[in-house]
Amino acid sequence: MKDNVISETDVMSNKIKIAARNVQVYYGDNHAIKDVSVDILDKTVTAFIGPSGCGKSTFLRCINRMNDTIAISSVQGDILIDGEDIYDSKVDPVQLRAKVGMVFQKPNPFPKSIYDNVAYGPRIHGLARNKTDLDEIVERALKRAAIWNEVKDRLLAPGTGLSGGQQQRLCIARAIATEPEVLLMDEPCSALDPIATAQVEELIDELRQDYSVVIVTHSMQQAARVSQKTAFFHLGHLVEYGETDKIFTSPEDPRTESYITGRIG
Amino acid sequence: MTDVPDHTKPQRSLLQQDAHTTKRNRAEKRFKTYGIIAIAIGLLMLAILLVTIIGRGSGAFQQTFLTLDVQLLEAKLDKKGDRNIEDIKKVSTFGYAPLMSAALETKVAALGIQTELKPKAMADILSKDAAAQLRDFVLANPDLIGTSVEFKFLTNSRVDGYMKERVTRESIANDKNINAAQLDLVDALHAAGALNKQFNLSFITGADASDARPEAAGMGVAMIGSLFMMLVVLILALPIGVAASIYLEEFAPKNLLTDIIEVNISNLAAVPSIVFGILGLAVFINYMHLPNSAPLVGGLVLTLMTLPTIIISTRASLKSVPPSIRDAALGVGASKMQSVFHHVLPLAAPGILTGTIIGLAQALGETAPLLLIGMVGFIASNPPDSIASGLLAPNSAMPAQIYEWAKRADPAFYERAWGGIIILLVFLVTMNAIAVLLRRRFERRW
Repeated sequence: MKDNVISETDVMSNKIKIAARNVQVYYGDNHAIKDVSVDILDKTVTAFIGPSGCGKSTFLRCINRMNDTIAISSVQGDILIDGEDIYDSKVDPVQLRAKVGMVFQKPNPFPKSIYDNVAYGPRIHGLARNKTDLDEIVERALKRAAIWNEVKDRLLAPGTGLSGGQQQRLCIARAIATEPEVLLMDEPCSALDPIATAQVEELIDELRQDYSVVIVTHSMQQAARVSQKTAFFHLGHLVEYGETDKIFTSPEDPRTESYITGRIG
Repeated sequence: MTDVPDHTKPQRSLLQQDAHTTKRNRAEKRFKTYGIIAIAIGLLMLAILLVTIIGRGSGAFQQTFLTLDVQLLEAKLDKKGDRNIEDIKKVSTFGYAPLMSAALETKVAALGIQTELKPKAMADILSKDAAAQLRDFVLANPDLIGTSVEFKFLTNSRVDGYMKERVTRESIANDKNINAAQLDLVDALHAAGALNKQFNLSFITGADASDARPEAAGMGVAMIGSLFMMLVVLILALPIGVAASIYLEEFAPKNLLTDIIEVNISNLAAVPSIVFGILGLAVFINYMHLPNSAPLVGGLVLTLMTLPTIIISTRASLKSVPPSIRDAALGVGASKMQSVFHHVLPLAAPGILTGTIIGLAQALGETAPLLLIGMVGFIASNPPDSIASGLLAPNSAMPAQIYEWAKRADPAFYERAWGGIIILLVFLVTMNAIAVLLRRRFERRW
């Protein structure tokens, strides 16, 4: 498994970006996340793995309060970003989401031009003072999302006309255009073919320079390839959390071992 | 590895259909046939409907006119001779009648037609409205007084009916409005080319006319009434409906109260339109004292009726916008309202427009509520001269005008009712076509 690793597995930072303490999530009567505590480091890729329905996506969506849009969900416990409780009543989820970007499972570009897709975030947050500024932000975001060369000649073409992999990179560009500090990715490659997946994975590794990246994935190979830290979720519990290397080579919990060796999940 | 592969013997040959498959295929074929028959029946009914409407209604667009050279005698029309419009207005339509009968007498003599009819009886083949038309013409062109002008007069509806073969020499036996001698005169004038059927624009643009002069009745004023009502509906129902739908669909918490509201909106869409009519009568006229028969009241009532349609179609098109678009907008830090107004609403707009146009088309064809607020009745007023009077002055509406004509006794009005239906259908088909075009044009796929 070591051969597949494309990134340095050394954790580059030890600063805690996101700290979750005793987080419980309920969907109505369904207790989806049970007492999860985890520290997610800055400038690190953290992978959430686990079988379907284990709560990893739910937990991810708690980090930028996307669960607020589901009426029946309720979150207990604390999630701190840079030491600030994001569920504090003073926190506006809109401001939070500018700080915590998100990339979704299915590429979901707006049915607008490529340029407008990327420019939308900076526009609504007032990040650009003028058109030249905005052009620069768009170009920088597209370059960092490694899609600039493919789209620079057709920035005004609709974003929905791109291929699946390009669309997903466009969505990543859109997410990083607002200069977030954390990037959440919910199975970003599940709708992509292997080549597009490889491109996005390479991109994730590069994004680690600037962001704390949290990725939910169904593919253990992918988790092993891109992440430095891995958290294994099972039935709403955080079973094991640690260095990716260690989780995949010598897991402590028997459930983790069963899962990565393919016996459960 | 031999060149000729050795086939195993099939247990069941694929080349022979077994009984079960044959039965299934037959059932499928039968079902397709039923479908085709159902569609054929539908199309046949549509064809019968269209043929009937066009067959009976197209006559209304043609009218029999008699061309006469009228001497506009100064001595009769403007005794002072100074062309003062106020003085000319003092001459009533009775003052014009002798000019017309003189013109007809001259024409008959010039064409060498033999008739025992007196000039007065001859002039009876003209419409009772003809003198008013001539007077309107003179008031519009006072300079022509003293000259001779060629003028096309509407003929009596019996003459028109005779030309359209609705009235026959047998059917007039007991008819006091026309006699055989007059029909002889009509035949002779027609043979000489002075009396002809022509396209009648005033059927589309004119006002309704009284029972005695169906030939002068037109849809124009009712059309304006409908237009003002649609304006009221559009201005009120579209913003209220869209705002309500956006709130219910995107913002409202899902609880018992919103569930009750939802169910009741659906119920409102099924409420018979006459109920809205009686509500309008009670609230807008009896309680708020808005004027009777006014397009404003009609528009308000139709707004109530159209709102559920617009709300339901708007909510459906908001629902059809994939949630991933909302997630994407929220994910980059857009507020709820930004995500709705920047992304969801533009994507739902074609659906909303289509729903609105279809709602309007429904309201345009609605008659029942108008019966209750007094928009059905004889209204021979001229087109309103301002927006305020267009909204507040008594008026009719297209379907109400059709109903009004259909219930009158004279068969000439019956023909106009069918003609009115053609006009109404043209409007409805046009609106639906616009709805389809908009949907095609702005439909997005993703």
